[in-house]
Formats: sequence, structure tokens, C-alpha cells
Amino acid sequence: MGRRKQCIAMLLAGGQGSRLGALTQNIAKPAVSFGGKYRMIDFSLSNCNNSGIDTVGVLTQYRPFELNSYVGNGAAWDFSSLDGGVYILPPYETQTGGKWYKGTADAIYRNIDFINRFNAEYVLILSGDHLYRMNYKKMLKDHIEKGAAATIACMEVEWKEASRFGILSVDDNDRITKFAEKPKKPESNLASMGIYIFNADLLKKKLKEDAKDEESAHDFGKNIIPKLLAEGKHLNCYRFKGFWKDVGTIPSYYETSMDLLEEEPEFSLYDEKFPIMSNSNIYPVQYIGEKATLSNCMINNGCRVFGNVKHSILGIGCEVDEGAEVIDSILLPGCIIEKNAKVIHAIVGENAVVCADTVFGNEDEIEVLGNGEKYKGGE
Amino acid sequence: MKDVIGLISANYSTDKMEGLSDERSISSMPFGGRYRLVDFSLSNMINSGITEVGLITPYKFRSLLDHIGTGSAWLLDRKKGGLYILPGATFGMSRSSDRFLLCDVMQNEAYIRRSNADYVIVTSANIVASMDFNPIIEAHAASGADMTMVCKESTRTSNFLMGIKKDGEKVTGIIHGVEKGETAFLDTFIVGRELLLKFIDWYSAKDYMDIFDIMEPDYEKMDIRTYEYNGYSREIFTLQNYFDFNMELLDPDVSYRLFDPQMPIRTKVQDCIPGRLLPGSEVSDSLVSSGCWVKGKVDHSILFRGVTVEEGAVVSNSIIMQSCIIRKDAVIKDAVIDRNNVIGAGMIIKGSPGEIYVMKKEQRTEENVKGRY
Repeated sequence: MGRRKQCIAMLLAGGQGSRLGALTQNIAKPAVSFGGKYRMIDFSLSNCNNSGIDTVGVLTQYRPFELNSYVGNGAAWDFSSLDGGVYILPPYETQTGGKWYKGTADAIYRNIDFINRFNAEYVLILSGDHLYRMNYKKMLKDHIEKGAAATIACMEVEWKEASRFGILSVDDNDRITKFAEKPKKPESNLASMGIYIFNADLLKKKLKEDAKDEESAHDFGKNIIPKLLAEGKHLNCYRFKGFWKDVGTIPSYYETSMDLLEEEPEFSLYDEKFPIMSNSNIYPVQYIGEKATLSNCMINNGCRVFGNVKHSILGIGCEVDEGAEVIDSILLPGCIIEKNAKVIHAIVGENAVVCADTVFGNEDEIEVLGNGEKYKGGE
Repeated sequence: MKDVIGLISANYSTDKMEGLSDERSISSMPFGGRYRLVDFSLSNMINSGITEVGLITPYKFRSLLDHIGTGSAWLLDRKKGGLYILPGATFGMSRSSDRFLLCDVMQNEAYIRRSNADYVIVTSANIVASMDFNPIIEAHAASGADMTMVCKESTRTSNFLMGIKKDGEKVTGIIHGVEKGETAFLDTFIVGRELLLKFIDWYSAKDYMDIFDIMEPDYEKMDIRTYEYNGYSREIFTLQNYFDFNMELLDPDVSYRLFDPQMPIRTKVQDCIPGRLLPGSEVSDSLVSSGCWVKGKVDHSILFRGVTVEEGAVVSNSIIMQSCIIRKDAVIKDAVIDRNNVIGAGMIIKGSPGEIYVMKKEQRTEENVKGRY
């Protein structure tokens, strides 16, 4: 066994994110580009590092290549410690055969060895595809002070949205009295953010029990949490105030991205004390040509702009050629908008090309050009 | 391929930078919006597959070492080989025209002696080029010469570049200063490792001199050839060089040649947020780095990381270094503003194209105001 760690993080990054359509055609949701130079997983990895958690297991499953190569050994997020770091944990074979991860709880269950290896006292369970900035140290402090068996981070959501989430009811001490997964008639508007801290011993015990239960969907929200509650365990609710978003659909991806263009965005990427780090490629400085016009946009390394860009986000290494126009759009890293092409109200995938003289997108709905695709006009 | 180790001579200083090099060496001068000059020679090494590199440090090495760290940005923190920080011989500081002092090599003889490499490729840290050393190594090995100097037809007249005298294929001597159109030495050469060690024995009495000056009486005896380099390269010796060659990056053809994706110029990564051009900003013909926040007008200029240009401010034909803040309605023309300056509202700073105005680091500040990183 290694040196005892107070808290390690397990980051669930196996999700497909099928509602993101073309954006997750060939990469997992945590690898989806955001804000031009980040990928979704940057936010939780940066949070971990900024919170002083130095050991993170990243559980991957769906199309893991891009994600694995992006995360690497975690050095880009400043994880370098002799007895910690970032570890990719894919599903694996054992003597009795191998299976895909069946659910969030199953994924952690099958990596109990990882928890043991670091001899962790507490285990923080996270999703790799949420946008937020959170100091988990404060949550851990709350968990320890309350003497809870498990703590769930939650935040108040609008009542009309509440039935989309796991909803918690709490007593005066924020002890959870009830947990309802996507209730039709929510009793409260406190939504679970899918961020949990467990006492490691209890977690391991419950995961082993759950693994034997053939009826179980092996899911934290559906099985583990309700069971702990039924057993009368002290489940603590940690209230998070600030920006948090699970960007699950194309419209929500688009809106959340575009909000970055506000002068005071709801979610600021800039925070000197709590920086969002990323594993960015090496590109030269963004170049703006003599005839280019840009207004209200975000522009990343390696961009070369010769055309006109209005209210848009340009990912790393994008090129907008002469006479081309980009309006109300998001260009993901490496895409090329050729001469006199027009992109309007659209998302252009990574390394995709919009060919010269074509028009991609329309004012009514958000069009998406998949990663690596080439738009030549027509239908 | 032959086994080659690298040696970067960064022990070169100048008094021709009008204060920009007061606290830093030429090798750590900020360049092109996000780089330091040394990035080019370090990147050239790793891009050419050379993974054992010695860096001879200058007298003022703080900012250089701060930038380089363990060399991880250039993939040089490794078990086999990697980056060796080599102390420079300090009296190099006063002799600003010399790049390759023999005493620098002597001081670090162990680095050269310990290696098993066939050749040493030596380059200086004030050259802007994306140079693949492999064809040079191949040409050198094929010719069997003692030394091969990389050279190019000079695009300008310079007192600081070295010219090359030749007789047929062989170099017969050097000249200080070149006229436009003459053959200029690009401060990069390859030499047999063992021969370089012999230089120490032969010439140790003149160790305070540049290797190319020391060899003066012996050029005829040795087989020194040249390698004609056709790519883009610029050597920085003076403020005007520095300003002009930064500005050349605004020519898309130049940046295409210099920033070849196959030969990426690596630098220390900072996690700056994306650059922001806000409504009302007018930016043209410029480099605008990550972390910038622009509401004013920027034309034919280079903004380094984290520069703020407020409403109504106008920046033209200028270089603004990291974390500067240009307040409302300020005007900056034909100037270099070094790091962490706050230019007050309405202030006018003007040089002229022939005489660039320089504001040194942290000359103007506001209490409790810090630029973006």
C-alpha cells in the first residue's frame, strides 16, 4: 500500500453524450471542445488540482483514444507527484472474463483496487463533463465536520427545471431526508450535481453489496444513494453556489458557449487563483489580417483571420480566409472556413472545412458540421 | 544517422537594446507575442531529433532559467540526455560581438567530453529561424569536412553578422560585418566532437576570444565548408532588428515559413484564457495573444499575452509586452512597451518609425493594479 491519502478523486469520463449528436460522433463527451481551447474534462481536472487533490482516476469507456491521449499523465493540469497523479482506468479483463462498465457504481466497484492502492480515507466522485469551478476542499471540510457517511453537492435550480435532476429534500442541518431521481412533482429544488464524497470504507462495502444485486442498475443516483438513505446513514447535502452546468444538448452547448462572449459572462474562464488549465497544443499567436474585421469574439492560438467574424468563438488553429464571414458561430479547433464562405448560427466541428463560396447554417436552428467533415454546399 | 549533441550559446549580450535587455539577456527577449528568442534554438534541436542539449547561460540568466525550467516544454527533461544548463564564462558580457567564446566551451568541457556523439551542433540564441539540422548534419558527414558553417546570402547590411571568405568550397577566413548580398554566417555550425575538444588544447591561451577569431591563422590548414540555408532566418543584435523582425511576423508569408506545423516552435505554456475582442474593438494586421482584452483600436502591432486595451485607446506600429494595460483614449505609436506597464488614460506615447520609443519594464504602474496574466 502507498502512503495514506486523505482524499482521491474518481472521475467518470466514459459517457457518450449522445444528445450532443455530431459533436460526440467520434469522441467521448468529456473530450468535447469548449471555449475554443478547453475540453470539458479540463474543468473537473483543474478543480481537483486547484483543490489540492493530487490523485485522480479517470474512468473511460466510450471512444477513449482522444481522451486518453489528451489527459496523458495529467502533467498539463499540474499533476505530478511521486505518489499520485492522473491514471486512466479503462474496463479490463479478469480471470473470470471482462465486461464493459455497466453503470457509474459498477465502474468504481471494478476499480476498488485503485482506491486501496492509495489507501484513501475519502473518495470524491465526479463527472468529467460538467462546467463549473468548485473547491472540493471546502466540500470535504463540510463532510468531515458534519461527520457524514456521504456528502452530495447540490445547488438550487429553477423549479420548472427541477424534474430533470436528482432532487434532494433536507432537514434544518442539511441532512438529506429524501432523494428522488427526476421526480415528476419535485418536493424541493435542490438538485444533485452528481458530485459525491464517500467515506472510503463505507463506499467499498456498499459497492460490493451492489455488485451482487442482480436487480441493481449499478448507478449512484438510482441505487447506491437510495439504499444508504433507506439504511438511515447520515447523508449530508453540501450547498454549492456559483455556476454549474451539465452541457448535455446542442442548444445548451451553444448558449453556454455564447455566454462567454458577454462582457461579464456568467461563467468566467478567468480566475488567477483558480485557473482552468488545459493541455493545449503549441501554436503561434493569433494573427489578424489587414482586411479582417472582428467584433465581439473570442480567439485562440494559431488562428489566422483574413475574413470577417462577428459574435463568434474561434478555437485553436482555425482559419477564416479572405471574404469569408462567420457570424454567431462556434468554430472548434482546427477548422477552416474557405474564401467567401459564410457560416451563420452554426457549430463547425474540429478540423472540419466549410468550402469556398458555400453557406453553412441558418438563423432558425443551430447547424452542426461534424468533426473532420467537409461541407461542399447543397443539402 | 550520426549521433549529435547540441550546444546553444546564449552567453551573448548587447547594449543596443535601449533598456529592454537591462534585466534580461538577448536569449530571453520576448518575441512574436508569446515566445522568447531561445525558443527557436531549443525547438530546432528537438525538432531535429537532438535530445542532448547544453545551454550556455548568459551573465543575466534569471529570466532565461525562469523560462526554461527543466526544459520540459521542449521535451528535454529526460533520463537519457536532456537539457544541461552550462555556466557561461562571465566576462563574455562585455564583449558583445562574440557569440562563441572558447572559454565558454572550456568551462563546460565535461559536457562535451562525457558524450559519445560524433558531432556537436552549435548555435546561438539570438536567431529567429525554424531550421532542421538534419540536412546540415548529413551534408557535413558526407563532405568529411572538419567543420561546416551554416550561411546565407545576407538580406541586409549588418555590422554584427559575420561574413565568410571562401576559396572554392573551403572557408578561408571570416570578416566582421557584411554588406547586403554577401555570404553571412548564421551563427550555427557543426563540428566533430573530438575536434572541438582539440580546440581547447590548441587555443587555450586565447580562450577569451571567439572561436572564429582564434582560428584566423589556421583556416587554410583546416577543411571548413559552408552549408547554404534557404529558409527564413533573422539574427537579432539591435533594437531596430528586434522591432523590425517582430513586425515581419505580420507578413502571413513569413509566419507560414517560420511556424511550420511539422516544426513547431515550442515555448513555456501558460494557461491564458482565449483572447477577447470586445464590441467596438477595431483590430487589423496584428498579433493578439491569449489573455488579451481589447476594446480599442489596434493596427500593425503585436500584443503579448494578457494585454488590455481599453475603449478609445489606439495602438499602432507598436509592440506591447505581457500584462500591460493601455487605459482609455491613450495613444501608442512606434513604441515598444515592456512588461507590466500601465499607460494612463489619455496619455500619448509616440516614437517614429526610425526611432522606436522604448518604455522599460514596470516604469508606470498604478497602485493595486495588476495586468492579466
